[in-house]
Amino acid sequence: MALGKLDKAVQLFKTIPRPESGESGKLFVQSRMQLARVYYAQEDLDKAAAACREILAVYPDNAEATNFLASVEKAQKPWYIQFWQDTVRFTPALAKGAVMTFVLVVVTMLVSPVGGLLVALGRISTFPPLIGLCWFFIWIFRGTPLLLQLFFIYYGLPSMGVTLSPLVAALLGLGLNYSAYLAEIIRGAIQSIDSGQMEAAKALGMTYGQAMRRVIIPQTYKRLMPPVGNEFIALIKDTALVSTIAMVELMRAADQLFNTYFDITVLVLAAIIYLLFTSAFTVTFEKIEKRVGAYENRYTPSH
Amino acid sequence: MKTDTPPPTNGQNVQTPLISLKDIVKRYGDLTAVDHVSLELDPQERVVIIGPSGSGKSTLLRAVNFLEEIDGGAIYFEGREVGYVEKKGRRVLDKPKRISQLRSEIGMVFQHFYLFPHMTVMENVMEGPRTVQKKPLQECRNVALDMLQKVGLTDKKDIYPATLSGGQKQRVAIARALAMRPKLMLFDEPTSALDPELVGEVFDAIKTLADEGMTMIVVTHQMGFAREMADRVIFMEDGRFVAQGTPTEFFENHLDSDRIRSFLERSL
Repeated sequence: MALGKLDKAVQLFKTIPRPESGESGKLFVQSRMQLARVYYAQEDLDKAAAACREILAVYPDNAEATNFLASVEKAQKPWYIQFWQDTVRFTPALAKGAVMTFVLVVVTMLVSPVGGLLVALGRISTFPPLIGLCWFFIWIFRGTPLLLQLFFIYYGLPSMGVTLSPLVAALLGLGLNYSAYLAEIIRGAIQSIDSGQMEAAKALGMTYGQAMRRVIIPQTYKRLMPPVGNEFIALIKDTALVSTIAMVELMRAADQLFNTYFDITVLVLAAIIYLLFTSAFTVTFEKIEKRVGAYENRYTPSH
Repeated sequence: MKTDTPPPTNGQNVQTPLISLKDIVKRYGDLTAVDHVSLELDPQERVVIIGPSGSGKSTLLRAVNFLEEIDGGAIYFEGREVGYVEKKGRRVLDKPKRISQLRSEIGMVFQHFYLFPHMTVMENVMEGPRTVQKKPLQECRNVALDMLQKVGLTDKKDIYPATLSGGQKQRVAIARALAMRPKLMLFDEPTSALDPELVGEVFDAIKTLADEGMTMIVVTHQMGFAREMADRVIFMEDGRFVAQGTPTEFFENHLDSDRIRSFLERSL
């Protein structure tokens, strides 16, 4: 039986003595480490810790034993203490990544509505080359994976003589991709406004631009909020894709920590930070939505 | 009773018509919505166009404001031909800037009001002077208050249109058009979307305007307009002016067409 063999191994490891001075302690250290691992696997944490301390009694500087003892001591504590300690340990690195994620999200949120509006206006213009160009833009950036676009911009463009920093490449990729999505949403919102509004504006003597700016576009805000909110929540999560082009943002930071410590807490923490972002954003957007739609059925007393 | 010919002028002391439509044609595919129609309006003249649905009267009215591009004919405003230019042998609408300029001198009121829902009543009325005429804010406010007073809605100035009744909305729409100090007012079925009990207040607002000497074209199903404020009533059918005359001629003397008689009987 496997367990029987393991017990025999444990007995064998124990027989290896402490090294006398001048003697090589290699075998001793190896045996006690094996013991510690076996006890740890059997969840006999006290004995595992004792094995590590035996090594440290002879070799106080032994890194392997020190690290393992730290893990064992951590495992001896209740789960919430463990989680708290991990949080303290991982948060600084994750926070750095989160700041970069935040920057990516905010810049894309500011840039893509402008890009989207311009493309949308191009799509509904009466100038065929412009319509075609905007259609093509949307076709390309909605029709291919964002990951591929990022790869193309960061790894592909250098072969055409354009080398971009990871941050610029990431912002360019996210900005173009989200402009394409928002363009279609904005176009839909503009076209959903009663055509009588444009006629009334024109009848007052407004130019097309004035009518758009003063009458049509302000009326789209309320209709835009739900679908654009959706897009922006997707954006927060899509920023994780730029971790593939050497950007150290939240996902990349979590990935690096996880590959170093193999500690699932890192992933849980990263998930919590993403949830904080999306929740804060959802609440903010709902507030904005209520405000921009206030004219529908609001009574403002004049006295 | 005349058909399709502008009223003759006596050669001397000719007043330049404010607006003059010559041989206007508007087609939608095979359908000729407006079929060689001519119309002249002197300043302060009030013309009411009646006729069954689909007769082309709204299309004609919208053509005056270039909301419909005409396929034939010419439009003269204060004696000048306006709105269209030759381009590569084809007639096209003039530059947007010039069209906007023309429209700013012509007020239009729509059947469905089309108030700007994201602006208060006051902001709606201020919008033309502010955005189009680029007048100072205080002047826009004063103009807007004057116009709201004219339609009796000063107390609603800070309300959003959503909470107004149909009649109130239409009165605001009238104030909004008047704030531009237009030379001509176009009314496209101004009372057709209103509940019967709300027609009166809008009718009164337009009547007041007519009494003040505003030049206007009213397209309507409401015979009251034709009876009480028209200088000239035109009956339109199948894209043509079938009959026209003063209200008296129209309602009492010249019901020579069975078609007009039956239309009037149904409408009265």
